[in-house]
Formats: sequence, structure tokens, C-alpha cells
Amino acid sequence: MFTTGSKFLIGASVVALIATVVYGIGQGGVLGTVGLASATASLIGLATLNALLRDSNVFSDDPAPVETSSAAQFAPPPSVWPLGFAFGAVIVAVGLISYQSIVIIGFVALVATGAEWAVQAWSERASGNVEHNAAVRSRLSNPLEYPVGGAAAIGVIVFAFSRVMLWLSKTNTTIAFSVLAAVVLAVGFFIAFRPKLGMGAVGGVMAVGAIAVVAAGAAAGLDGERDIPVFETTSVWQQEAILHPAEYAEGAEAGSHPAGLICESPEEFPEADEDVSQTVASKSGSYQVFLTEDGTIAFDVPGPIEEGPAGMVIPRSNPTNVIFRNQSDEHRRLSLDRGTQTVEVEGEDAIVRDQICTTLIEPGGAQLLTVKVDQPTFAADGQVNPNGPGGEAGDGYWFFVPGVDTAKLEVIVP
Amino acid sequence: MRDRETGTSVTDVNLTNRRARTFKFAALAGAGLFVAGCAENAAQDTTDPAGTNAQMIYDLSWPIFAIAGIVGVIVFSVIAFVIVRDRDRGQPIPEQTHGKPILEIGLTVLPALILIGVAIPTVGVIMALDETDDTECIVNVTGQQWWWEFDYPVQDGCGGVTEPIITSGQMVIPADTNVLIRGTSRDVIHSFWIPRLNGKRDMVPGRVHNLRMQANEPGIYAGQCAEFCGLSHANMRMEVVALNDGDFESWKANQLEAYESPTDEQALAGEASFIANCARCHQVNGLEDADGTPIVSRPDLQVYPGAAPNLTNLMTRNTFAGAMFDLLSQSNREGVAGCRERVWEADPDDFGALYLEGVDNECLNEVDLREWLRNSPAKKAMYADPEQLEPTDGLYRGMPYLALSEDQIDDLLAYLLERK
Repeated sequence: MFTTGSKFLIGASVVALIATVVYGIGQGGVLGTVGLASATASLIGLATLNALLRDSNVFSDDPAPVETSSAAQFAPPPSVWPLGFAFGAVIVAVGLISYQSIVIIGFVALVATGAEWAVQAWSERASGNVEHNAAVRSRLSNPLEYPVGGAAAIGVIVFAFSRVMLWLSKTNTTIAFSVLAAVVLAVGFFIAFRPKLGMGAVGGVMAVGAIAVVAAGAAAGLDGERDIPVFETTSVWQQEAILHPAEYAEGAEAGSHPAGLICESPEEFPEADEDVSQTVASKSGSYQVFLTEDGTIAFDVPGPIEEGPAGMVIPRSNPTNVIFRNQSDEHRRLSLDRGTQTVEVEGEDAIVRDQICTTLIEPGGAQLLTVKVDQPTFAADGQVNPNGPGGEAGDGYWFFVPGVDTAKLEVIVP
Repeated sequence: MRDRETGTSVTDVNLTNRRARTFKFAALAGAGLFVAGCAENAAQDTTDPAGTNAQMIYDLSWPIFAIAGIVGVIVFSVIAFVIVRDRDRGQPIPEQTHGKPILEIGLTVLPALILIGVAIPTVGVIMALDETDDTECIVNVTGQQWWWEFDYPVQDGCGGVTEPIITSGQMVIPADTNVLIRGTSRDVIHSFWIPRLNGKRDMVPGRVHNLRMQANEPGIYAGQCAEFCGLSHANMRMEVVALNDGDFESWKANQLEAYESPTDEQALAGEASFIANCARCHQVNGLEDADGTPIVSRPDLQVYPGAAPNLTNLMTRNTFAGAMFDLLSQSNREGVAGCRERVWEADPDDFGALYLEGVDNECLNEVDLREWLRNSPAKKAMYADPEQLEPTDGLYRGMPYLALSEDQIDDLLAYLLERK
């Protein structure tokens, strides 16, 4: 009997009338009551006019327009993209007052959901058939959605895995992921041997697994990484002794560390020498220096050793990896004395020894030392190295082992 | 739409024209490739081995290529036969069969046997190429963006080396001698490859890799870095120069000769200019300042990888700038062939003497060397723009523009010509 537009206007008139009465009695404001009464009168007028004109164009008694008018056509399915777009806008806004990275995430969400929204809106105008429109959308979007979505999903899972790994201790990480791998394998076998298992069940299991991984990653990420101990290096101790001699001497007197330069000391230094790795993973392609049982230094390089005057040749300015293997019965370190260097100590230039060394290595242990010498051997001509064998033959650069006077090996830089 | 006279459709004509064009292009490309195989004087020709190591690879590659070719022809023939025989003519799909044990086992075992047959000699050659026990001479090779450094450690090998020798661009070795390259890199991964003498070997920072090198006869053997290593990878070249024993002894003796300050006035000015502009990076052994103090270059303070070519005996080499340019000119010299060709194409018996002449004023490729000194970044792509060195803390990768005057360049040329 009433057309659609008339129903809307009649409803609005009733609401306005109620509002006028409630406001007039409850609030007593003249201006508000007059305004609402005016709106009510206007709406009643419009409702009456519209009811008389039958929504202007629809013959309400004729069923054909009801079926063919645009308002009678299918309603597009609800879309999630406007919601996503709004969410992206909120993230951008939050990012603008917090972190730039959040702005980038929000912007990506904004672009992605905006594009999806636009494509969906475009496809919904393709025809009056919902399924056909969905197919049109899929044909355009799926080639991009699937790889990007897959990569994003893998990225999220990998990131979640990494958070969990960094949260657990090294041992527990190994155990946890061994168990997890076994579970994945077992579930895989179970699914493979049950071909009648429904796709829904398989999808459910995978979804639960994915959610569990992401949730665990989020929880671990929020809790933070495990404590990873940081040790002082020998270089730090060496520099400390050279650059702050007074404080260093005070520390030595107080017994917190031995006196002297660490690279010239056979003693154990706290932090630098405690709990250090005594093994190296590198097995080939490196120079090796051995402290032998008889207290001498031998070396090895890939290929034959050059016959002639003993000395290890390394290229100039080249970071060269040297594995030190302690074959003696004592804890020892390998040091390289690269001549002198000028440093600023307490505001004045001072000439000091330029040395690097390994930590103290247990008998049978090994450690990698990366050595780099920037000047050729002839640059040290005439400069006797106190850690060499002494005399003229002691010019240049020398490997030595503190506490073992017979352990000397020249490093020759062409 | 159809042609009124022939009755063929326009679409058919377009398709036919396109196919014809594609065929012509493929035929032209194929002919080009075929003709390229006929090139003479191909300096980097793997099918023209000049040493035992390259010969081993060559002898192995031909039978394997033949086997692979036969297998390929059989496989493609069968595929073509099936495609033609069973092409779609509207017939029903052929009967689908499963389970022919003899055929399936046969088609598994046969390739396995072929692969085993290929693997046995391949492993043998790999092991032979890894052999180091027969080394007679050791050369350390260090790659750096975009040149190679060669140093000869003190050793009894190489006929005896009493002091380290260092050079770049050209690695000089005794001919018919088992040389072992001990290689590494200062910056990124490079690959040392002299195609006529051996295969490739990656030179990796922090690691030492060995590579055998042997040349049957005296001569120059060209090579090229074979691992993409940045902006001027294509310009990172090197040459191996093989000399007979006597000539190699002469070369070593020359490399170890004491430095002599020039007496010529212009060369003396060039020495001063070198100290002022070049010696920060380039070492010339024996060069001293006015006080008699040895001048030690500090390329580690200027160049990101830490080194620059040692120029002590520059004019004993035939190349510069990472072997990108010849030091010997192409021009004729008093009725004989061009200086470069004269050395490169020399008879093996005469090669050593010609090579040891080095580069003199008449044969100097002055054009390229002058342009290099004038503006090296314009001659070779390098990271040499001072405003773009933030990632390397202000250190160059390559040689920067030095803003030398023409007079300074003249002086430097006079000085460098005496570096031999």
C-alpha cells in the first residue's frame, strides 16, 4: 500500500514527533522544541506528498517495475575491504604520532585494501550475476593475491619462528624444534594414510597450527629475546691498557685483572678469556699456526709450504684468517706484533706497540684470529721488534706466544 | 577479412610474416654464433689449451660433449617423432598404459650407467687438477675491485726467490713449470680464469684457494675475472706471461733491482709529482723523500679494499688499470709491426726477449695512459665520486680524479717511463 519512500518518511516523521514531545517535556527548551516541531511538520508534509505521488515513478500496482528497477536488482555481497581500508587509515594515523615503520605498514594496508576494494567495486558492475562478477574479480586479482599473500604468510610464520627461537635458550630451541619437526612429520603421515580425511579437517589442523605458531611468535616477541652474554674482546683490554694506563694500573693493583698488555701476557684476563670458544668451524682454506709441544711455532697453508727462510707471507691490507691451534700442554694465546703505532694518550701522542691476539686457548683448543697488516715489511726495516727473536733479524712483524720465548714466527708482507 | 584475389585471411598473412621474420632472425643469430667459432687469435679460447691443466679439461670435455650430444639428439628425435605422430587431428587420445617394468628399469639404469661413465674420468681430472705435490713455483694472487695483485714469496721454487716480488695486471711465470696460485680477495668474491691455461677458481675474502697454472710455451695468455664483482667487473682483466727459464731469471733480477732516482730533469719533476699525487696509494719500492726516508704508501687510508697496484716496475708490464689498457701501442715502429702485435704474436723462441724489452718511449700507448692520468674515472667505471663515498666512510673504490695539470702529466709520463 505504501511505497518504500513513503514508509521511510512516515517513520522519520514519527521519530521526529516523539523527539519533539520528549524534548519539549523533558528539556523544556523553546528553541529546540520549535526546531524539532518544524522538522516534524516538514517530514509529515514530505511523507504526505510522497505518498500521493507514489515515489514519483513507480506504479505500485504493476509488479514489473519491482522486478526490473535498479533498486530491485541483486545486492552485492558485503565487503570487508572498506573495513580494511579504514583500519589502514587508522594505522597510518597512529604511525604519524608514533613510529615511521607503523606509517609504512598502514600505508601498505591502505594501498592493498584500497586496490582490492576498487577491483571488487569494478567487478560488481560487470553483470547482474554475482558468481560471474566474482569470477571476473578473481581473474584479475588472484594472480597477484596468491603469490603476495603466500609470501606474506610465509614471512609471518618465519618471523614468528625466529622470535620463538630467540626467546628459547639454545638447548631448548634445538629440543623444541626437533619435537615440532617430528610432530609435523607425524601429522603429515597421518593425513597421507587417511585419504578419506575431509579437506575441512586438514585445513582446520593447518589453521590451528599456523595460529599456534603466530601466537607463540607474538608472545615470544613481546617477552623479548633471551639474554645473550657479551664478552670483552682482547682488543678492548689491549686498548684499555694503552689509552687509559692510570685506571688500568689501578685495576691491576686492586686485583681485578693482571698487569701489562693482554697480548703480551700468559695470564688469564677476566671476561676476555673466560668461557670463550675453543673450537672453530672453519676446516679448510685458512692459514693455520700451531704452537707445538716443544714450544715452537709451525704454520700451514693450503698447498705446499714455501721452502727457504721461514716466514708466513700474507698479502698487504688483506684480512687474513689464521687458525691458532694450541698443541702444547699449557693454556696459551697467539699474538701478532705489527710494529708501532701512534695514538693519543691523555691528550698527547704516544708511540705504542700495535698488537692483536687470541684469547687464552686450552691445550688442544683452537681459535680464529683475523690479521691485517697495512704496511709492507720493508716499512719496519731498522725497527727491532721486541717480540721478535731480537737483533737485526728481529725487524718486521712477528707472531709470538706470551710466556714461550722460543715461539716466534715472522709475518712477511710484500 | 580476406584478400579478394588470393582468398587468404589477413590474420594468416600476418602470422606467416611474423614466422618468417622470426625464422630469419634465428637463422642470422645461429649463423653469427657459428661464424664466431671460426675466430682467429681468440685470446680466451677454451678450445685452444696451452697448458697441461687446460688440456686435461679439454680432453675431458669433448667426450662428455659427444655423449651429451648423442643423448640430446636421441631425446629430441623421440620427442619430435611423438609430437608429429600423435599431433591433434581430432583422433581419440591414445591408449594410456602403466607398468612396463623392463622399460622403466632400463630407462633408469641406462642414464645411471652413462652418468657413472662420465663421472669416473671427471672425478679423476678434478683430483688431478687439485694436486699440489708437484708444485715447482708459488705465486700469491689477490683480487681487488678491479685489478689483480701477484706476489712471489721467498721460496726455493720459481728458480729461487730471495726477496718478495710484487706486481699486478700481468703474472709472469716460468714456462713448462707447475705453478701453484694461492689466491684470495680483499673485498668481494672474484674468480681467476685464464681459459687457455686452466679452469676458473673463485677467490674468496678470508679464504685461500689454490689453482694450478702451467703454460707449455712462452707467450701471453689473457684472462678475465669470471665472477661478477661490481661496477667494473667486465674491466677486471689479467694476463699470464710465460717466459723460458733464462728469461724468467732475467725478469726476477730486474724486479729486484734497486731503485734509481731519475737523472733527467723532466723525470725528476715527475718523481716529485708522483710523491705529491700518487705515492699516497701507489708504492714504488725504494722511493725516498728529500730526507732519505723511505716513502711508504698508505692505500689503506685512501682505498676501501686497502691496496693499490705497486708501480715499481710498471713499464716491464704490457698493461695498466687492471689490464684494461695496453701500455704497448698499436702503432707501427720503424718498419716493424705494431708494438703490441710484435710482442703478442711473437714466436715462442723470440717472445721472452721482446717482452723483457718492456715499454719505451716509442712504443708507449701514450694516448690511453695520458687520458688515464687526466681523468681515470672517465676511462674506467669506478666509485670515485667524493660526494658518493658515504657507504665506504670516504674511501675510494678505484682511482679518483686527481686534477693533474698537463705539465704534471708530462712529467709523470717521463718518470713512469723509467720504471722498468
